[in-house]
This record gives sequence, C-alpha cells and structure tokens, in this order.
Amino acid sequence: MIQAFDRLIHHLLIAVDESENSRRAVSYVAKLLEGMPSFKVMLLHIINEPEEDFFADDGERERWMAEKQETAERVLDEAMTVLVGEGFEPERVFPLIKVRYCPSIAECILHEAEASQSETIVVGRKGVSHKEEFLFGSVSNRIVHEAKDCTVWVVE
Amino acid sequence: MQDPLTDEKIAQMAAERLPASTPLGRIHRDTSDFFKVEYGDVAVLGRRAFLVGHNAKEGRFGVDDEVKHWVKRCIDLHDGSRKIVKLVFHEKFKASIANLSFDCFRSPKKEARILDLVADHGHFMHGYWVRDDAGNVVRIIDYIYGKTLHAMINELSLDHEIYYHERLPQILQKYIQCVEAIAFLHRHHEKHGDIRRDHILIDRETGHYRWIDFDFNYMHRENMFAYDLFGLGNIFMFIIGKGDVLLGDLKQGRPEVLDRLTQNDLNIVFHNRVANLKKVYPYICEPLNRISLHFSRGAEIFYQDTRQLLADLNEACHAFGQGDP
Repeated sequence: MIQAFDRLIHHLLIAVDESENSRRAVSYVAKLLEGMPSFKVMLLHIINEPEEDFFADDGERERWMAEKQETAERVLDEAMTVLVGEGFEPERVFPLIKVRYCPSIAECILHEAEASQSETIVVGRKGVSHKEEFLFGSVSNRIVHEAKDCTVWVVE
Repeated sequence: MQDPLTDEKIAQMAAERLPASTPLGRIHRDTSDFFKVEYGDVAVLGRRAFLVGHNAKEGRFGVDDEVKHWVKRCIDLHDGSRKIVKLVFHEKFKASIANLSFDCFRSPKKEARILDLVADHGHFMHGYWVRDDAGNVVRIIDYIYGKTLHAMINELSLDHEIYYHERLPQILQKYIQCVEAIAFLHRHHEKHGDIRRDHILIDRETGHYRWIDFDFNYMHRENMFAYDLFGLGNIFMFIIGKGDVLLGDLKQGRPEVLDRLTQNDLNIVFHNRVANLKKVYPYICEPLNRISLHFSRGAEIFYQDTRQLLADLNEACHAFGQGDP
C-alpha cells in the first residue's frame, strides 16, 4: 500500500527488485541499522512500463502488468519482512510501487529520492560484466555519478 | 470532395500498370493478414491505392536474403512512384549478442513516430503512415535508389593505405553526419534500434548517407542509447578498417600482426574482430584509433551518449585532415 513518506527524521530509500543484489541491499540495511528509530525507510520498486506496441493487444498488456504487479508486491513483502525481522517497526517502512516508462531506471530512482526528500539511496550492485555494462549500462554506476544532495550506498 | 476509391476505379488504375497477362488480384483495405497481401493485389491505404509487387528481402552479411513478408514493394497507382509499404507484424523475440540476451520487438508505432520526426531531415528515409481499415499503422516509405554502406565499402578494390588517405576522409565526414542524425533522434528520446552498416543507404541522387528501418525496438536497461552506440562503434571500425578486421583473416594473410595483439585489442563484444586498428595499420592516426579503442575489450570508459562520440569524431577528423600522426 502506498503511504505518505512524511518529513520525520532520517529518510532512506532502498531501490528493490527481484534480483539477489537487491535482497543483499535490504539485508545490509536491516542488519546495519537494526531498526534504529531515527530512520524511516522507503522501499521503492519500479515497474518499467514498455512502449505501447510491445504488446500485441490490451489483453497481453493487462496480463504483463498483473504479473509485474504481483512480483513487485511479493518483493516488497519480502523486503518488509526482512526489515521488520531486524527490528524496524512496520509503520516506519513505506513500500512504494511506481509504474512508469523509464528511459533510465537510475533517473527514475533519483526522481523518487528527490520527491521523497530521501537523504540516502541504497542500491545493490549486480556486478555486470564489462561488455554488459557497455551494451546496457549500469543503474548503480549512474546513480553514483548523478545523485545530488544525498548519500548513495552501493551494496555489493 | 475527392472521388471515392471504388473497386471499379482501382481495377481501372491497376490495369494501366499491370502486365496484360496479369489479372488484378484482391483489393485489401484491412492488411492484418499480411501473408494474404500478394503480388498483383492492391492495398488501399488512406485515400491512395498501391499495387503490390514482390516482398522485400534483407540480407545479413553473407547470409542468404530473408524474405520479409510484411514489407511490400509497391507502386502508388496515383502517381506511379515506387514505395515500400510496411505492414504491421507483431514480432517479439529474445535477441542474443555475445551470450547476453534482451527482449526485442517490432514497433510500427515507433517507426511511424520517427517518420514524422525526420520528415525534413536529409539523413533518414522518408515516408508517412496511415491506419488501414483495421487500425494497423502502415508505413509508406519513399524508395531510395542506391547501395548500402556495407556494399559500397566491400566493393572497393583498393589497398587499405590508399583507401585511408584518399577515400576515408570523405566517408568519415559522411559517417559523422550519420552520427549527428542519430544524435538528433536521441535528443528527441528515440532510438534507432537496429544500427547496422546495411541500414545506411547511399542516396544515388544526393550522395547523402541515409538511415533506414527504425521499426526494431528493444526493452532497454539503464542506458537506452547504449545499443545504438554499440552499432555506431561497429560501423566506425568497419569504415576505418575498410571492412571488419578479423583474426581469421590476419592469421591467413598477416600472421605477424597477431603477435602484436592482446585480448584488450579486440572488439568488446565480437572477440574475433580487432578494435585496435593501429596495430594492424600503423598509419592510422592516434585520435581516430582512440575512438576505436572505446569499443575494445581494454576500454575503461565507454561513450555514454552520441555527444561524446561526436566530440571525439570532430577532433579526430580535424587531426586527420591536418595529417597529424
């Protein structure tokens, strides 16, 4: 459920998806902060919406969106469980699913961080190969290079 | 008000273009089933009728031509001009390059958007789009007479050094115009999607290099233009090397060069191609070779956008023109 990310204490945004590196990022934050009451955490999952003719028809689009939504909810539930398991109070963890077309996932994450006035962004690093980074780019590298007025934690 | 395009009127117009022995086929106002749109048929698109010829074919570097059943060579029955009519084909597949796979799809709407965008741009194919009676986004492309860049370079029977000094400066200038054209797309948040040397046609009338075929699309990851940049890099190395410089060819013809090469000198994606071309052709100037090295296995920094590539190209071209080493 989407809730307001109010302006209390230290705000931290964790970008999550279904990858192992994302799980590591959540686990790192959970273990490091151990539910410190001075932190509020936003768990952000972005569904990168394809261009409209990626789908042959509306039915295919709806099935695709439903599947992605289900995955996003599961990923956020798991992340929430990890954080709460390490001492975070559930009301200090804010899951957020954003469905949007993202020319750059990093830019979308940075946009949400700015909108929520998060002081810290946490991302996992996938450890892409040299040629993979060349062909597709790297979300964590771009966030590191382009983040302004905030701290970035990159979890290996 | 314009006369309606009745079947009788279409039959009359088609009869003027069809050989006497060929009867008019079917008339299509819904082109959804493109296999049914055949030679001798007429497709009615917008307020115009197009006599359908053969399907277009596309070769892939030495592989036999593949028939593209959704792309029809046509004649506009109103003015007799040749057109390429691209019908809607929903195709989705996993492409794989060097064991990295990504989701690809054909995107008629993307191509239609770009046709609108580049209508006044001399370095792209031109055309327009209409919806047929079933709502399909059909693209009607002006025919370009001329060879592909791939064919032009492959057909040059010149020693590389002569090519480098006499032909490359002009080809490089035209390549830069092509990169500027892609930069134009990127500035408008569009990717070409299928940058290959056989997707540049050299317009016989104007001499312009013109990009064709923008209907290919893919689910990009972080950098939506990285794959376009990869294609631009491959074309750059192709024109500097006067063809792909392949390890296999060097082994046969110039085995001594292999001793000078390391893994870092190879193309970052295609490991059988040399990117450090100066090790093969020592007279290639440093600034040009440095660009090539950005696409090598040894590259530490990649181009993030076309502006960076263009800045280096212009600088290298200047040095090349000055005869700098």
